[in-house]
Amino acid sequence: MRNLIKAHDRVKDFDWEHSYAEKPDRYPTKYKIPRKTKDPFRHLIRDYVSMEQEKDDRQYGAMEDALARSNSAGKAEPRWMEILKIAIPTVNFGEYAAMKCCGQLIDTVDNAELRQGYMAQMLDEVRHTNQEIYLNRYFAKHAADPEGFHIGLKARGINLFGVAGRAALEAFFVGDPVEGALNLQVVAETAYTNPIFVTLTEVAAANGDNVTPSVFLSIQSDEARHMANGYSTLAAVVSNEDNLKYLQDDFDRAFWRQHAFLDPFLGTVYDYFQKNRGNSYLEKWTEWIAEDWVGSYISKMEPYGLAVPEWFYLAQEQMKWKHHTAAMLAAASWPIHFWRWDPLTEADFEWFENKYPGWYKLYGAFWENFARTTQAADGVNPLAAFEALPPLCQVCQMPCIMPRLDCNEVRFRSHAGRTLPFCSDPCEKIFFDEPIRYEQSVNFWQQHDGLGIHEYIVNNGLLRADGKTLISQPSLDSDRMWTIDDVAAWGMEIKDPMRAITAQLAAVGGSTNGSAQ
Amino acid sequence: MTAAFPGAVDCAGKPTRDFTYVPSRRRRLTEYEAVTCFTQPDIEAYDQQGWLLRDATGRTPWMRESTALVHPNWFAFRDPASHWQRTYVRMQAEQERGIARSAEDAAAHGVFDEFDPVWVREILGRHYRAWSYAEYGLFRAFAVAQREALSDTLGNVLCFEAFDRMRHAQAIVLHLLELEDHIPGFVDDGAKDVWLRDPRYQRTRQLVEELLACNDWGELAVVTNLIFDPILTEISMSQLVRRFGPFHGDPVTAHLVGTSERDRRRNLAWTQEFVRMVTGAEVPARASNKAIIEGWVASWTPRVDEAAKALADLYEVPPLQVARFDDVLDKTLRAQSSLVTELGLKVEVML
Repeated sequence: MRNLIKAHDRVKDFDWEHSYAEKPDRYPTKYKIPRKTKDPFRHLIRDYVSMEQEKDDRQYGAMEDALARSNSAGKAEPRWMEILKIAIPTVNFGEYAAMKCCGQLIDTVDNAELRQGYMAQMLDEVRHTNQEIYLNRYFAKHAADPEGFHIGLKARGINLFGVAGRAALEAFFVGDPVEGALNLQVVAETAYTNPIFVTLTEVAAANGDNVTPSVFLSIQSDEARHMANGYSTLAAVVSNEDNLKYLQDDFDRAFWRQHAFLDPFLGTVYDYFQKNRGNSYLEKWTEWIAEDWVGSYISKMEPYGLAVPEWFYLAQEQMKWKHHTAAMLAAASWPIHFWRWDPLTEADFEWFENKYPGWYKLYGAFWENFARTTQAADGVNPLAAFEALPPLCQVCQMPCIMPRLDCNEVRFRSHAGRTLPFCSDPCEKIFFDEPIRYEQSVNFWQQHDGLGIHEYIVNNGLLRADGKTLISQPSLDSDRMWTIDDVAAWGMEIKDPMRAITAQLAAVGGSTNGSAQ
Repeated sequence: MTAAFPGAVDCAGKPTRDFTYVPSRRRRLTEYEAVTCFTQPDIEAYDQQGWLLRDATGRTPWMRESTALVHPNWFAFRDPASHWQRTYVRMQAEQERGIARSAEDAAAHGVFDEFDPVWVREILGRHYRAWSYAEYGLFRAFAVAQREALSDTLGNVLCFEAFDRMRHAQAIVLHLLELEDHIPGFVDDGAKDVWLRDPRYQRTRQLVEELLACNDWGELAVVTNLIFDPILTEISMSQLVRRFGPFHGDPVTAHLVGTSERDRRRNLAWTQEFVRMVTGAEVPARASNKAIIEGWVASWTPRVDEAAKALADLYEVPPLQVARFDDVLDKTLRAQSSLVTELGLKVEVML
């Protein structure tokens, strides 16, 4: 077939004006999208399936052949492998949510060029969903310690941080479809897939894991097309001036919602689970998000009326500490998770201090102490050091201890007869702009309130094959691992901290904010 | 073996080394189940904390009311073809390569010169091309259905069917471009007008528009795969384009239609499985589910039948009368009726 241009034109001329039944406005959007724009996706299905099959064959072929025979997964640094137990399932919901986002866009955006791109992305997202779970299962089969990998998606569902991930990623497809596209294509895919699928592969490879890069880089080869979808969607939106009055608010919200979870999460994965160390997450964030995304991508949009997200500079300021604070809480609450921690060493301390000057003064004592209290025989409860569990933000579901414990921005506000916690000014504003979207969310502490920690662990199957040893451990030491009896001996209950905080606030007469902890 | 590596754990029992949270239909967990199940959060199972975001009207990410059918566990559905993305894409890549090769061979051997001119102009240029709009409309309908489906295993079969439909639509366009390249004087134009204005197609167009307006993904699947395809696509594509083609010097289009029939068989099979699932003996709402599906069948079948009958005189257009419309319709309706009754559905359809 000789005339590809004709082929592309004709496959984009399928729409017609309906005369017999009006399509319902299923996913209302306030945006006006022009009927015709530039085509972000110049692939026919015939080319697309052939290209994807070849990529699949290369990736799955490598996993089952050379990578399996060289036992790459079994030989990788155990510290690195541990964090993949939560990282893979959490990222995976982003892929699945993206598939749903594309369905909404296909229905709502009346533009044949864009719709072709969304169609291919919809199937790409099934691809990524499958690839990542295949990887997760591969590690269940081949990793030195498979426990945790074997319950991946189940464990994501019941995990404090897994749930916070879902809170951010639901924004891909819940709400105005164009707002979903801003969250997915413009922020998550254009800004964050590089730190996820490119830079994380460098860390993986440096730590002996060549399997994750095989999968992630194959995923990233599709992401370039999704970024083009995002750019074309954005270009279509800004081409109509009427859209601008909504766009900036939605864009600001999309950036903050994704940042509030992705940066503490990725920063922890990146900085706390490298053994053979290279760059820091902050360095990579500066390169990909600040310089590349804001400096080059978003700035190109400025002449059309789109500005850098309002809360970008706040995020940038907090980037130095936020993930260290999150990592500290994640480590302190290790028994309720499903991966092992490798306590930091002197060499790690030096690296952190070098990459984040001032780190040791703020976090050194915690990690020194953490390393001293990993012995099951000593039975030290790491959470006992905290007066109370930190409240979880009503919007982002992350602990309200950011950016640092000593200067956190927690605030409590009254809403419909309840006192609700927020981690920051942006999350508070986002909530009160549209309370209906967040007010019914139940957080992790509320969900498990009153349950003994050991009961939570047993009920949710967070035990190893012997039925008594915890999947999660505070070290990689396998001589005397922590058992459910060790945790039961603490007699500690999960308590929703908001009951006490609400009572306290009532006693002093009102809501408050600032370093209230 | 693992104990040889740093960090290996060998003191806490023998790990299972596979997912333990997916209930398999087979003796062992299949690759399809492993990479598909619970990728959609299930707030009745492992995601009991519930939804964390609503839209401006308060709707949750997924809603039970997205179909009138009721089942205690939508996540129990399994695609009989066990497709996940890799197997699906591989299958479609093979089909598309087959189509391209068949056109290439036909061109090399001068097969296009043997195509009957009336066949090319009237059936391929107008009828077959007009059908690409029907497939496109269904693509859009299934793209929404995959968004709303209440489990991952259902979302995926609906997503693959959406993609099938777009593949069919594009394959028709590309095939006609081949004809433009190889058959002097043939131009692919005017079929959109046929789709929009020719009275023969207005019933079909109405059905497609109604399916696009349908908000129930269960209804869309049942109507498309148990009624629309077995009657209308059979009459319009299989019995006319595929069956008549070789008698008019055209073995190429028949091959192309054959690839869409392969997709149809797969989509029929999962829809049958779906109907069996919601009407199964252990399902509390089986009686009302059965009544709802019977209602859909009773309501849509006469309309699909009318759309098929509106195409009747097309069977007179090809120079060779390979089959009579009335005979084909009769056989097709009986076959479709068997599909329905084999599922235990009792429907009195007034045709």
